[in-house]
Amino acid sequence: MIEGLGGEGQSWFHRLPAGVKLIGLAALATALFLVEHRGALAGAAGLALAALVSTGLGFERIRRALTGPLFVIAAVGAVDWIFLDGRTAATVALRLSALAFLAQAVVATTTTEALSEVFERALGPFDRLGLIDAARASLALTLALRFVPLIVEEATAIREAQAARGLSNHPIAVIVPLVVRTLVRAERIADAIDARGFPPQKNSNSSR
Amino acid sequence: MTTRDLGYVALFAALIVALGIVPAIPLAGGVPITLQSLGVMLAGLILGPKRGALAAIVVIALVGLGLPVLAGGRGGLGVYAGPTAGFLFGWAPAAFVTGFLAMRLDRAETAAAARFAGLFGAGVAGSIALLYVCGIAWLAFVTKLGLSKAFFVSLPFVPGDLVKAAVAALVTIKVRDAFALDRK
Repeated sequence: MIEGLGGEGQSWFHRLPAGVKLIGLAALATALFLVEHRGALAGAAGLALAALVSTGLGFERIRRALTGPLFVIAAVGAVDWIFLDGRTAATVALRLSALAFLAQAVVATTTTEALSEVFERALGPFDRLGLIDAARASLALTLALRFVPLIVEEATAIREAQAARGLSNHPIAVIVPLVVRTLVRAERIADAIDARGFPPQKNSNSSR
Repeated sequence: MTTRDLGYVALFAALIVALGIVPAIPLAGGVPITLQSLGVMLAGLILGPKRGALAAIVVIALVGLGLPVLAGGRGGLGVYAGPTAGFLFGWAPAAFVTGFLAMRLDRAETAAAARFAGLFGAGVAGSIALLYVCGIAWLAFVTKLGLSKAFFVSLPFVPGDLVKAAVAALVTIKVRDAFALDRK
């Protein structure tokens, strides 16, 4: 399920540091919401698409990545057209398309490790202030990702077991055991983490 | 925050993601629902305000990391700035308020019907009313629709969410019978 993520590549976009790309994306996204000129927005969308193509991803991957977002943008444009007017619809659709292209270019050229490193560094100041524990925060993210496929597997197994008992597709009969097993599993994992002394405690009263 | 709390938060975040991947369960009447927002309601109702909101925040962070964790394989920073971002970021306050109300409205000693009413009310107030306020405000801003029209466009999703709130309330009662866990 983690395919579709970026990584290997030699384009200039791949070589930019992840932090620069993220800050650039945030700045451009903000700027796009301040621009109302349709020509400028069309230019921005064109440039963003050119940047996406310049990553050398290949047509098929770009098409797959953009189908979902473009469908949403088309729906939003249609709603704007019906309720407001064609000009607003064009402005909104161009702005959102430019954003979608840019975001895709960043995501496709940045590895998950690089992104989570940037996140951890961004959390650093809050960590030093004692507001957040960066090590625990990144442990929570990693754990969540690791257990998604296992929970999907468990859901399938429970559905099959219930179907064998003639309870096919009864939502509550599937979700209740799924949630209970998830809670039990969370306890076991927490105990296993504690047994290994991770994450290292910073001071003695932060643990309980 | 104990390690167990961290485990509940992480695994409930994983559950929310997983509920977006498992095929939608067709309810009576044949209306298929995706279960991701049900996961957010359950996080608040079962874990309580703080841990429920943290589970939602973990999912929101995973979206930002570019992982396709939303229903339909969506993810990435594009979602953060997209027209429906308010419905994503709204998950955190929604789970918090749902859990906060559940702590006050659900008492183990009361009758099942009263417990159901309390949990259903917590889900409707936190995970529907508050979530739609966040979602509609952002939608109105991004699409320039104005609040009333954005509200009108979002209305068709309300019946399905009411069904999910009822399912979440029933599931919560049964889960709490099987697994003792204080909300916090």
